[in-house]
Amino acid sequence: MKKIVALLLAAMMMVAVFASCGGDNGGSSSSKGSGSGSDTQKYENAGKGFDANVADADFGDEKDATLKVWGPDEYTTLLTEQCEAFKKKFPGKVKKIEVVVQSESDSATMMQNDPKAGADVFGFASDQFTNLTNAKILAPVNAKYAADVEATNNKAAVDISKAKNSATGQDALYAFPETGNGYFLVYDKRVIKDEDAKTFEGLLAACKKAGKKFIMDVGNGYYACMFAFTGGLSLEGLDKDGNQLFNDYNKDDVVASLKAFSKLMHDYKGTFMTDATAAIPSGFTSTATRPTKVGAGIDGNWDTSGIKKALGEENFGAAKIPTINIDGKDTQVVSMYGYKMVGVNANSKFPRTAQILAYYLASEECQNQRAEKLGWSPTNNAVVDSDTVKNDVAISALLAQSEFSVPQANVGSIWDPFKAMGNTLIADETNPDTYDFAGLLDKTIKNINS
Amino acid sequence: MIKSYKLRRGLANTFIYIILAVLGIIWVSPLVYLILQSFSADPEAIPQSLVPASYGFDNYVKLFTETSSLNFPRWYINTFVIACFSCVISTISVLMVAYAFSRLRFKSRKKFINIGMILGMFPGFMTMIAIYYLLKAMGLLDLTNILGIPGFDGPILSLIICYSSGAGLGYQISKGFFDTIPRALDEAATIDGATRNQIFWKIILPMSKPIVVYTVLTSFIGPWTDFILAKIIAGDKVNNYTVAIGLQRMIDVDHKNQWFKRFLAGSVLVAVPVTALFLKMQNYYVGGVTAGGVKG
Repeated sequence: MKKIVALLLAAMMMVAVFASCGGDNGGSSSSKGSGSGSDTQKYENAGKGFDANVADADFGDEKDATLKVWGPDEYTTLLTEQCEAFKKKFPGKVKKIEVVVQSESDSATMMQNDPKAGADVFGFASDQFTNLTNAKILAPVNAKYAADVEATNNKAAVDISKAKNSATGQDALYAFPETGNGYFLVYDKRVIKDEDAKTFEGLLAACKKAGKKFIMDVGNGYYACMFAFTGGLSLEGLDKDGNQLFNDYNKDDVVASLKAFSKLMHDYKGTFMTDATAAIPSGFTSTATRPTKVGAGIDGNWDTSGIKKALGEENFGAAKIPTINIDGKDTQVVSMYGYKMVGVNANSKFPRTAQILAYYLASEECQNQRAEKLGWSPTNNAVVDSDTVKNDVAISALLAQSEFSVPQANVGSIWDPFKAMGNTLIADETNPDTYDFAGLLDKTIKNINS
Repeated sequence: MIKSYKLRRGLANTFIYIILAVLGIIWVSPLVYLILQSFSADPEAIPQSLVPASYGFDNYVKLFTETSSLNFPRWYINTFVIACFSCVISTISVLMVAYAFSRLRFKSRKKFINIGMILGMFPGFMTMIAIYYLLKAMGLLDLTNILGIPGFDGPILSLIICYSSGAGLGYQISKGFFDTIPRALDEAATIDGATRNQIFWKIILPMSKPIVVYTVLTSFIGPWTDFILAKIIAGDKVNNYTVAIGLQRMIDVDHKNQWFKRFLAGSVLVAVPVTALFLKMQNYYVGGVTAGGVKG
């Protein structure tokens, strides 16, 4: 009896193992001929954009491809249109493109759970880039397209999409930059004059005078890091043990910045409020019986449409984060700025087609459509200079802020220490005139690498 | 020292009732908040006060009409189908396993009981990834419109299979109940010519309503509220999500600033079938049926 049971179990396991192997082979054998092309070629078309760069021959022998694409909810409709446009551009090459809703914050995790069930082309946030390249999920970008991407996109966005290619030992592009992602100042034009929005002092004074609040999420590392960044601290990636590396910052400057922020929070107690960013669109909402509560806040592009709806287009103001007076000098506040990228799954059954689709989705044409319809900030230089972007206050504010920012890529466990630091700065017990900010900075740095 | 017994008892009771009232308020207030805010008609996406200023059915209506991005009705039906099938299959299998272990004496019965115990000790999520890969290897996950029924896709079938097939292992409580039913009843039935099968359906089951109800409730609520396994199996197939995954999606980074109140409305609706099932079944839940089963 026992023997029979054991035999049965063994047989079942064998079947399962073979079945899964069979599936694997079907997938990987066809993905071997990945389109990285020959690197020695010269690329005359670099900088000329998608249409000039892609030829029918680039598809190799792939035709009637079926692809799956992941994009966030708000982008689904436009993404579907763009995929249809792509199908029409190359008749006979693509049979079906399935667009599936998958938020960019989650897509890297989903991809790592089971790369073979994942999308062929997917959007993800830049801080996931290293995880994805380490897990060998991203296919390297075809050198011919990479040259063009490098020539047409913002340098910071390109740099952040590069990783060392284990085969060649050189830095290579592993994803297509799609959009910038960060936060900036939003304000109610009825409360804050554009002039006041230039300095933190002017902004807070105007809010206080009108009896409105200024909201930023001080107790969140994503926002709180700017108190230290403004003093010159910057992140320089991780060492091989996973420790966070910093630039060669001047400690006195960082301490002065922390002190200045803490002083501001205490001088404008009751006006300078910390709350989740969701409180900003809600606080801008007014009803017949209830006026708005908030005058200004620091929020990201993902809330822009909600804020515009609450305030009305004509009252919506946006600008880069204001300057703060540190020891008598107006200093520009430096923020965290991330990117979103389009990646190609290395397990795709149609690697060439997937690559070309990703290239298209990151191209000038698609970036322009996203800026126009969704208010996404572009990385493509031509779109950055276009009228669409120049006339959009929110995108312009975000782009202006990106000049003063630390890129959000390959960061260590900085969030909780910065969160604790932010909470300390605003705490009632903290007396900004006597508090030991140098000690706070030391503690924060120590906690990041512990 | 207070001499009067009445006074002492009064004081002690007051004290106890105050504690109980405080605990009760703490326990109930989130539910009250959830229900009140789900009916809120305030213009803000995120509630700004504890009690809404105006009320309406907006959130509920939107939940069922704006389905282009998050399709709550579809998820609700999915979950309902999964929960109903799993409930029926696993109730029957749990009760049958319990009956077999309680009444029948067969070779290696003890061994099977022990194996069942040991297997039951492993936490369920340990095997989830393995289950996912097995289902994938069998090709179940990619099926669509099974038997030509629209919307009856692979993940839904897989979830029904997963929830029902392991259910038999949870037989212990039912077995404990069956053990209390006197064997004299079985013997009497056997003398009258009943088979084992007939005894189970005609004698034991009608006497075991409380445990049947208990089994039905637990095996319905399990699939209805499960998140981890459903999330792994459904993957990116949004149409096959269950309400648990769907509700979680409503409050992720992309959606919470628009969907928070609809999330509250959805949470209220999720409680409806479970509550209804319980109210319907609690009549049977009360009476102990076995007492006085053997007479004369």
